[in-house]
Amino acid sequence: MNGHVKNMHFQQFMETAATLLSLLLLMTVDSTKTVAASTNQQCGNLLQQTLKITRIVHKESGDLIKTYKAAQGEMSELFCKVSVNDIPDPNISGLDPPARIASIYTHLQAFLPHFKRVYKQQTDLQSPGSPLLKELTRVWDRTESLASFINTFYQSLFPNLPIPEPAGGPTTLPPAQNVFQQKVYGCVVLKTYKDFMSNVSKELRNIKSKVRRGIHSGS
Amino acid sequence: KIISSNIKCQWEAVGHQTEAVPTNYTLKLSSTSFFSDKIFTASILGPVNNTTIDLNFFPNHMELEIWVVAQNELGKEESEHLIKPANCFVKTKPPSVAVISEAVFPTCLVMNWTSINKIYLETIYEIRFCPLGSQKWFYVPLADTSSYIQSFRLQNLQPDTVYVTQVRCKYNKKHCGYWSDWSSNVTERTPEDLPKSKPDVWIITSEEGINKRQIEFICKDPEFSNGRIRRFNITIEKQKDSIRNGTWEIIPVNRSLTDGSSSKKQITPLITILLDDEESVTVYVTAINSVGASPQAKLIISPKTRGKCPLEKMEVQSHNGQLFLSWKPPNRTVSDFEYVVEWVSDGERNWQREDGKTTYTAIKGDLEKFVHYRISVYPIYGKLVGKPVHVHAYFEQGVPSQGPSVNLSGDPGCYTAKLEWDEIPLIKRRGFITNYTIYYRSGTETRGITVPSNTTSYTLTSLSRNTKYDIWIKASTIRGSVNGSNHSFTTLKYAPGEIEGIVVGVSLGFLFVVLMTMLLCFCKKDVIKDNFWPQIPNPGDSTIGNWSPDYPLKAEAPRENCLSGISVLNVDVCDAKCVFEEDKASLPLKKDKYLSEEHSSGIGGSSCMSSPRQSVSDSDEGGDMADTTASTIQYSSVVASSGYKGQNPSSLPQQSIFSRSESTQPLLDCEENHDTMVQEGSRQCFLRQPCFTHNAGNENATDSNDFNPLEMEQQEVLDFCSLEEDTEHTAPADCQSDDWIPAPVSSYMPQLGGYRPQ
Repeated sequence: MNGHVKNMHFQQFMETAATLLSLLLLMTVDSTKTVAASTNQQCGNLLQQTLKITRIVHKESGDLIKTYKAAQGEMSELFCKVSVNDIPDPNISGLDPPARIASIYTHLQAFLPHFKRVYKQQTDLQSPGSPLLKELTRVWDRTESLASFINTFYQSLFPNLPIPEPAGGPTTLPPAQNVFQQKVYGCVVLKTYKDFMSNVSKELRNIKSKVRRGIHSGS
Repeated sequence: KIISSNIKCQWEAVGHQTEAVPTNYTLKLSSTSFFSDKIFTASILGPVNNTTIDLNFFPNHMELEIWVVAQNELGKEESEHLIKPANCFVKTKPPSVAVISEAVFPTCLVMNWTSINKIYLETIYEIRFCPLGSQKWFYVPLADTSSYIQSFRLQNLQPDTVYVTQVRCKYNKKHCGYWSDWSSNVTERTPEDLPKSKPDVWIITSEEGINKRQIEFICKDPEFSNGRIRRFNITIEKQKDSIRNGTWEIIPVNRSLTDGSSSKKQITPLITILLDDEESVTVYVTAINSVGASPQAKLIISPKTRGKCPLEKMEVQSHNGQLFLSWKPPNRTVSDFEYVVEWVSDGERNWQREDGKTTYTAIKGDLEKFVHYRISVYPIYGKLVGKPVHVHAYFEQGVPSQGPSVNLSGDPGCYTAKLEWDEIPLIKRRGFITNYTIYYRSGTETRGITVPSNTTSYTLTSLSRNTKYDIWIKASTIRGSVNGSNHSFTTLKYAPGEIEGIVVGVSLGFLFVVLMTMLLCFCKKDVIKDNFWPQIPNPGDSTIGNWSPDYPLKAEAPRENCLSGISVLNVDVCDAKCVFEEDKASLPLKKDKYLSEEHSSGIGGSSCMSSPRQSVSDSDEGGDMADTTASTIQYSSVVASSGYKGQNPSSLPQQSIFSRSESTQPLLDCEENHDTMVQEGSRQCFLRQPCFTHNAGNENATDSNDFNPLEMEQQEVLDFCSLEEDTEHTAPADCQSDDWIPAPVSSYMPQLGGYRPQ
């Protein structure tokens, strides 16, 4: 066997190896896309679920305000226009998606104590069978479930990034209030919460569109 | 609307269960999505196999894990875990539906509904609808409603039709969720539209006088009337008119708003005309609703005599709850050829059209059982009505509801009776009568006679006279029979005229008997008279006459069995004549007597003589001799010549004067027979005639002193001769002799020499 023949064999081997390597690479890229697509699909489903729950909470928060005002008697329309301190900000902070999603989560967590306080105050102010109490409970529970979904969604998107805790420590509740103050406080909390949920709904729709674009662009 | 937070779970126990070891079931529910490993439970003791968990809120869009743990003293077992999105366990309430119609879309209905908010549960829907009254639903394809919609437009509906609609919904995920119940019925009528088909025009023909017929045009709404027909427009064009110049006549329709679901179309009478049999007319009809007019219907009525050939072999058959017709088509047809099948019952008429190729069809109308129908098939040659063929039929036959009422025709006879009955009214006949059976009963015996169905009278024969009969008639169809009302009659005891005949016969017979009796009596009056009214001489009428016999007289003792004091004188005929002549002269008294009013018949004889009549001594009246001899019998009593000197006879022969009493008392039988016997035996004859002879010698005798004229006046002395009447004229010659043959031994002694008056 001469060198020419050896070269031929080597060339053939290399060609075959290259072909196989290309195929392997292609398959890897494709599988990556699939995995990515699959991951994206899962994220998309989770995002879809989160968005749906957000919409439910947003709607119920609006219904809750109506029920609250109806249960407070006269001048209830003015209660929500009063400014109250120590109420969580309805706006979502953060510049990038992870931060914004984390902000959603922290805000939801911040609203939960306020819901609890409002529920406690209205328990004293309303009759036991008042629909306001039931709705408050429902919104409160949905908020908890929404927070859990947000957390799961964040984890799915950013598995290596721990969700940050809210800055400034635990939520600070206002001092003891009289009835009028309680009524005002409750209305302001619910209204703020409704605004917040509106922002959350918008934010999630943005994320959803980005995720969708990401899926399409990836394919 | 929100979803309830209560979740009801049901399971099925597997394996043998016993109350001795009760099982506790625990329903468990968890969701890692939001409850953070929190498990909701609800326990219940078996054998109950369902329970409910309250979650405070329904975890929409979250995944749930549900399972049941069964535990008893013997152990614990866990069911399979049901892991599904929470929405898959939702059964929603049915949507609230509203339906509206749009005038611009007469074939559409728009359905609107409300259901659960999409954010809670995105649902799909299923829609169905049907015309009111119909049981058949039409389903909208699921593909058209498999999205979260709140309204739907139903299309391709019939105008002016009420539809019933329903909707139900379900979670839109496949193999997930439960369909809700159907919503409650919502009805709505589609708007009216222009009629799409022609009205169905037909006729009712009836005879009206000679060569005239009355035609009534009737009409049914178009098949696709697409609205309530408010009026019909009709115009009639006669054959003689070359152009259509008939005016349109508007026939308003007074009809209540129907729901459109009735399958039976109403029949509207349009117009009635009189038409000559030779005339032909063409009719045009349109139907008008609120939107517009239908296409025009046309019908041609041909002259009566110029009808086309009728159909043949029409048959009717009831089968599978329908009435089927079959017929043989005519030989000639035209391109535009069809049939009209008409059925008419009492007060009801309907028809249907059939294609020209049809020869076998079923009547599509609602036929009633036990109702008589007259079914006709008319061939229509290009709108021209041809001659029909008719048949009578029942959709279903039954037993007649009443039987025929029987009555007698006239009066019954002794052995026959004529019955008649009316046919059962058509409305109660309920079938074709196959036969009648006539029953008649007397006492315990019942007889029946079957007669054809076309019979309405019958004469019963062989009946018994003066017998009461109960009669009734049974009418039969193929389904059964029914008895009519009872009627009773009694046959005559006597036939008409029989009594009269009997009476006449008896009367005639009686009259005949009477006449015969009278005749007999008249002919035998003498005999009868003699038998019933024997003449008994009336002593008051008797006269005493004296005669001197030729021979010395002896006072003979009276003999037995003979009349005492009676003797018979024989006198010759000539002497009789002479005697008569002499008597005439010498017996004026007698004559006078005889001619007097006093009867000489004496006892009995006076009753026979109603008028004074001369005695038998008047021989001029020869014809009376027989009568006089028969009626005047001489009874004589021998009286002594010295007159009545007592009863003792004198031994001295004296010339006695015999006084005779004349009497018309007829002879007794023994005297008569005796005379007859004498006549036959000895050819003796006695001249039965009062004849007497005068004793010339004694005329001047002192016996005349004995001759008491008073006695003479009172008594008549008659000779009697026993000559029979029939031998009166044929008396033997010896009777004419002078000698009178003496009588046989009897009380009547023939006298010899005759009687000679003193």
